[in-house]
Amino acid sequence: MKNDFRMQYPLWMMGFIVVLGLFLFGVNSPETTEIVNTETEQSFLVEYGLVQGFIILGSIVLYLIMLFVFYMKIRRHNKMNPTQKIPSFAIRPPEYLEQDEGMTHITRKASQKVYTFMTWSLPGLAVFAMFSPLSRIYTVLAILVVAFLQYVIYYREIRKHLREEDE
Amino acid sequence: MLKNRVKELRARYGFTQSDLGKQVDVTRQTIAFIEKGEFSPSITLSLKLAKALQTNVNDLFWLEEDEKHEK
Repeated sequence: MKNDFRMQYPLWMMGFIVVLGLFLFGVNSPETTEIVNTETEQSFLVEYGLVQGFIILGSIVLYLIMLFVFYMKIRRHNKMNPTQKIPSFAIRPPEYLEQDEGMTHITRKASQKVYTFMTWSLPGLAVFAMFSPLSRIYTVLAILVVAFLQYVIYYREIRKHLREEDE
Repeated sequence: MLKNRVKELRARYGFTQSDLGKQVDVTRQTIAFIEKGEFSPSITLSLKLAKALQTNVNDLFWLEEDEKHEK
């Protein structure tokens, strides 16, 4: 069960979200920060160009590497589990464990927790987007945080049940 | 709550959770969930388990309330 890729799938999604967040940070961080003290004519200028470029390029390279490894893992899983293949393009989330009624039971429990989280977080997110004085980037970051947390909740619940059985 | 004798009978016949799981076509984890009472199996699975453990469903599963009434 530990080696079942569907168990690791939420972790991969969390990883992709983090990389996307890094990319977003790189794209939206200010290029320069300037502090000027007019009385004494002092000026302090920091250029972020190099760091910004490194974050953007680094996150793209990291994303592509992760995507390649992810694709290879799916291929390996499909080869080893021909009856439980993970389709490359499917509406149904592949992290559902439904080999039998016991696994379906824990998947349902985990999905219920995620649904409960979504019931509260989405209206909160909408209110935040409507009334927040912060820039649009923070709304996008808040969406990524909600997306990340839903995978954390799902993974922790499934792991809790399966870890108990492994011990 | 549903109580059961799956663990007791499985041990009597010397089956591991994996052995029993294979016999009734479920994962080892599902057998563990049933033994712990974390999950109530369907009628189909209950019948398969009873058959594999050479008993009947009534002897394998019972309700906790019934146990209290009998005492």
